[in-house]
Amino acid sequence: MSGRALEINGRKVWLLENGDGAPLLYLHGFADVHSLKDSWLPFHEQLAQSCRVIAPAHPGCAQSDENKDVDVIEDVVFHYLEVLDALRLDKFDLVGHCLGGWIAAELAVRHPEKIRKLVLIGASGLFVQGALIGDIFMNAQPEFGSSYATLREMLFSSADQPNALEMFPDGKGELEDEVRRYQMLRLSSRVGFKPPYFYNLPLKNRLHRITSPALIIWGEKDGFVPRSHGETFAKLIPNSGELKIISGAGHSVHVEKPEETAKLVSEFLQQ
Amino acid sequence: MAYPYLDKDFDEKEYSGWVTVPNKLWDNNKARGLYQEYIDQLALADELGFDGMVLNEHHQNIYGLMPSPNMIASALTQCTSRGKIVILGNLLPLHMNPMRVAEEYAMLDQMSNGRLIAGFAPGGGPETFNYDVPSANTREKFWEAADLIVRSWTDDGPFAHEGRYYPLRYVNLWPKPLQKPFPPVWIPGSRSPSTMTEVAKRGYCYFLSSRSHGGETHRAQQEFAQVLEKHGDQYQPFRFGILMSTYVAETDQQARAECEEGVWYFLKNCLKGHLRKVGRQLTYGPGVPYIPAAAWREYMKSYQPGRKLLGDVENWEELEASQSIIVGSPETVARRISALIEKAKVGNLLIQFQLGNMPDHLARKSMKLFAEKVAPILRHDSLIQFTKEYPGINVEQSAQAVH
Repeated sequence: MSGRALEINGRKVWLLENGDGAPLLYLHGFADVHSLKDSWLPFHEQLAQSCRVIAPAHPGCAQSDENKDVDVIEDVVFHYLEVLDALRLDKFDLVGHCLGGWIAAELAVRHPEKIRKLVLIGASGLFVQGALIGDIFMNAQPEFGSSYATLREMLFSSADQPNALEMFPDGKGELEDEVRRYQMLRLSSRVGFKPPYFYNLPLKNRLHRITSPALIIWGEKDGFVPRSHGETFAKLIPNSGELKIISGAGHSVHVEKPEETAKLVSEFLQQ
Repeated sequence: MAYPYLDKDFDEKEYSGWVTVPNKLWDNNKARGLYQEYIDQLALADELGFDGMVLNEHHQNIYGLMPSPNMIASALTQCTSRGKIVILGNLLPLHMNPMRVAEEYAMLDQMSNGRLIAGFAPGGGPETFNYDVPSANTREKFWEAADLIVRSWTDDGPFAHEGRYYPLRYVNLWPKPLQKPFPPVWIPGSRSPSTMTEVAKRGYCYFLSSRSHGGETHRAQQEFAQVLEKHGDQYQPFRFGILMSTYVAETDQQARAECEEGVWYFLKNCLKGHLRKVGRQLTYGPGVPYIPAAAWREYMKSYQPGRKLLGDVENWEELEASQSIIVGSPETVARRISALIEKAKVGNLLIQFQLGNMPDHLARKSMKLFAEKVAPILRHDSLIQFTKEYPGINVEQSAQAVH
């Protein structure tokens, strides 16, 4: 594992790289590398056994500089076009979780030719009538001054799931973990708060532009992005298979079931 | 301006008094005439010689029933004649176009014959959720809006505002405010150095939004004084204000007996969701990420999870220690507030008299006793203190306002 900073338009973009082989761009979600931890999770390490995983921290997350001009998801997409230029990535596999999945889908509808294969895991970004994405902002405010049980419940299969308790403990966690969590929420408030929450209305009608094969993965008990969003992605992306459900997992599938999820992804990429 | 008709089991049954508090609890049979009662209380303050009447903006809650303080201010322009009308303030990021605030404030200044004190506030956690206002850029939006409003009052129009958040091609305010160069501007804050700095740069007044008054109030005053000096300005007590509550009755014992129900209603119901850890405290936290990450890191270093907030006090002694609600005979209240003024060197006291479900007649009695027996002492003592400590100060400026 090695971390390094790119400089793009005077702003620092922090990224981690791991493994050899075909490039895979990984865009993080909430319970994830950069948004909570400064290192890879087992899921990424397993992916890195068969490809070169590149995981940038979103603007304002981890050691990436904040960009006050980010107002809407389009601004993040443009940021990533510049990251791709800097990395000289013309064609790559793209894997995104949650907000990272939303960015991935937005990139794919604009530049389908750049994507070899697309994997969306619990991706936000869609508006599905009657199935609003959860309010992570309110749930990030502790109950009784110190409990994050409802936040854990939203992001994992249950509030006392072991990974959930380790990543989002009650009271005060490790200072830097807390800061990374805050940074991710701050970026989310820029792009995902309005409209409430985490969607771009036109995205749905643009999904038909995606040409690459796509794999859509959802946790059986996703309490943050309803499963109907996964079904919609799977239905509207032309080259997508059936929605893959990981049983027993919540929103953070790749944390709760790293081996199973990584295996699904690796097999899809190697097909 | 609380909703005073909640059942006794509200705290037990309901999760919050803010944002999600079920509006089926609103009861027209009980609430008919409530606004009139509150407006009459404010008008009474004017009759009693208070320097002003303070209004503020809140949404979707039982704590303050003033989503639009400008409407109450409008009524006050018609039924009062002397005191300042202090709106503290309009929550600028909640408005799509700041010109609406500039226009309404200008109208109110005209309608009140130049009695408006124009407050601007960015709004806090609950309002973020009420109006779906993204947090990360609220401070930038707020200051752009505030500066645009003041410019629209002072610069000849039409001009184009080439702003980041509120670009406008034709800014041309009709009417203009009556006060020149423009109505006094007051800004509330919670000791953030950046807010103090922005206030100092513009020569506005700073209000501490905290409700508890221990050493922190004194520290806030010192910090603000330092910031002013850094900007070539000088502190004087009327640049600074605090928010407090009081209840005055004939004796200490009677005061406590008369106000206690209203006080607990206020603390346990009205502050639930705001200044209580029970339920979900929406006012400050990572879900409302309006400060930069570096500032959050500093805050987290000393953050104590589960620490008690004002509404978590469990008994009268703890409440007294918080110096948030000062209760007693005129002598007791005068002595305690005088001590607070002496230490915090504060010239503007925003005083809440009606607490929770306190009956109208008690709130009015307390206001009268305060005006007759407490205010003269405070004015006298602070006059001596301020003229000694701040030679050249204009003591004619307001000293107390009713909230």
